[in-house]
Amino acid sequence: MVKRKNIFRSIGFALLVFLIVMFAIFPFLQMASLSLKYQWDWGNPSFIPKQINLEAYKELLNIGQELKNVPESIVLLLEEQPDLTDAQRKAILAKYQDTGDVFPFLRYFGNSLILASLAALMSVTLAVFGSYSFSRLRFRGQSAVQRGVLFVYMFGGILLLIPLYKVFVALGFISTPTGTFISLMIIYMVQTLPVSLYMLGNYFRTIPFSIEEAAMIEGASRFGTIWRIIIPLSLSAIVTVYIYSFMIAWNEYLFASVFLKSFKEYYTLPIGLKTLFNSKNAIWDRIMSASMLTALPVIALFMTIQKNLAGGLTSGGVKE
Amino acid sequence: MSRFTHSSDGAAAAIKETAVQKLSTRAQRDERLGWSLVAPSVFIILALILYPVLYNIYLSFFDVSLSEGNTFSGLANHQEILRDSEFWKSLSTTMIYVIFTTAGTTLAGLGTAIVMNKKFPLRGLIRSLILLPYVAPVISVVFAWQFIFDPVNGIFMDIFYDRLHLFSERFSLIGSPSTAVWIAILFAIWKNFPFTYLMILSRLQAIDENLYEAAEIDGANGWQKFRHITLPEVYFVVNAIILLRVIWNFNKFEEVYLLTSNVKVLSVYTYLKAFTGTMDLGQGATLAVLQFFILIGFILFYVKKVLKW
Repeated sequence: MVKRKNIFRSIGFALLVFLIVMFAIFPFLQMASLSLKYQWDWGNPSFIPKQINLEAYKELLNIGQELKNVPESIVLLLEEQPDLTDAQRKAILAKYQDTGDVFPFLRYFGNSLILASLAALMSVTLAVFGSYSFSRLRFRGQSAVQRGVLFVYMFGGILLLIPLYKVFVALGFISTPTGTFISLMIIYMVQTLPVSLYMLGNYFRTIPFSIEEAAMIEGASRFGTIWRIIIPLSLSAIVTVYIYSFMIAWNEYLFASVFLKSFKEYYTLPIGLKTLFNSKNAIWDRIMSASMLTALPVIALFMTIQKNLAGGLTSGGVKE
Repeated sequence: MSRFTHSSDGAAAAIKETAVQKLSTRAQRDERLGWSLVAPSVFIILALILYPVLYNIYLSFFDVSLSEGNTFSGLANHQEILRDSEFWKSLSTTMIYVIFTTAGTTLAGLGTAIVMNKKFPLRGLIRSLILLPYVAPVISVVFAWQFIFDPVNGIFMDIFYDRLHLFSERFSLIGSPSTAVWIAILFAIWKNFPFTYLMILSRLQAIDENLYEAAEIDGANGWQKFRHITLPEVYFVVNAIILLRVIWNFNKFEEVYLLTSNVKVLSVYTYLKAFTGTMDLGQGATLAVLQFFILIGFILFYVKKVLKW
């Protein structure tokens, strides 16, 4: 009797785990499956495509697009004219290639990558020194600074959007694409700075002060200890915070949509995808493969920090 | 002998003095270094977060124009908004959205944390799979959700119309505002429950196993153990998460706007007012300020009355 109850229990439990996992990953399965399906297969509720369609991925990643949309007669013509130079051939083919206009994925990907990685770099650099300061040094106003950082959590993006837009317009940044790009970079840095400060501050407090003290007794300066001891010891935390900031900037839509509105060349992935979805070029397989390619780098990055987090660097550094 | 002690006293005093001096210069040095290290961050936060917030409050009293200057209009913006029925509608949408997403996220997170705290095969893999919704960019998952509820090809209509015959026709759940808000709520719960789950799980793992064993010896059943041990232990972290979740979801823009344009929570309403059509930045600023003060009011109420801090 007891045994039977246990079996029912574990089946029930397994079912519960299964339901939770399905709830979490169902949309991802949907996305992956649809990105590989042909149009005639969309209505089929099964996740397994009847025939694998890689066209959308090839198009987005610009693989094998040379002869697409080129009429057969032109291809034949080119083959029959062996004395044409390569440059001439390319010029003729270029007339027929407009896939880049449909959705220049690689371009938007690059924009997002530059913007997010630079913003995260600036944010983490500032945060290393800032959070070292309020987690380690005593000075007047220290706790006010620390609490002020948390207070920033209360301000939503929309509260900052209008005044910042007004300020950057008044400064003349918004009139050129480069200026817009720089202002967005600054804004992303600011948006991730409080989180970086908070997370790094928490981490620095876990590093035993005795390690630093030992270095200082041996004559190292404060900067020396930050550079030689704090940074190497908290490298995993710094990488984690960097990736976290990167992800925030990579995902941002609100500011990008307002600031970059008139510079299509400088779109980041979120606005690019949203624009694609609202355009006549919206086809499910194209949208889903673009979604997959937008999500994958972020998911991969997250998986790496998840492992990093487990290794406690300090445990080996000092023995109490 | 007495002279000797005297002189040694003097030496000790001298040593003490230099030590004090050294200490004070070290404290002074720390103070200077402390401020100079944190100054760039503080300056940037003041200039690009605090100043804009104040500037936003200032703007709310003006008729704002990007090309010409601002014209002072007093409380005209505020009055106009309070008389606008759209504003009250979006405020109530926001309330519904915040209440149900917060409740849903917290309950789903708590349940998941309790399940994941037990030992079972493949737990490590499953724990990371569950984090996927939280990790993936909003823009990359909204289209999958839209497809699920797509009237023509979506799996939802396939099940509920084709197989179960619950509806008389295929229709778009995301298409009409009255149903779209529930999809947006479900989406937000799905997107954010992993965060809640993670926070609660780390608290659960810190609970002393002996408490449960002692309760079992006393004959407590599963529910009693949950009610009298688990719940009090996670009480604080759950309340803190609820507070954060309310703040975040009250300000939520992307998770709503990118999924559907039919759900006008306050942030979306403000965005549309300020950056589409006639681009009324003054009214937008006023809306943002009102939203901010409503949030502050709620936080004070929650902290004083519910948490009793």
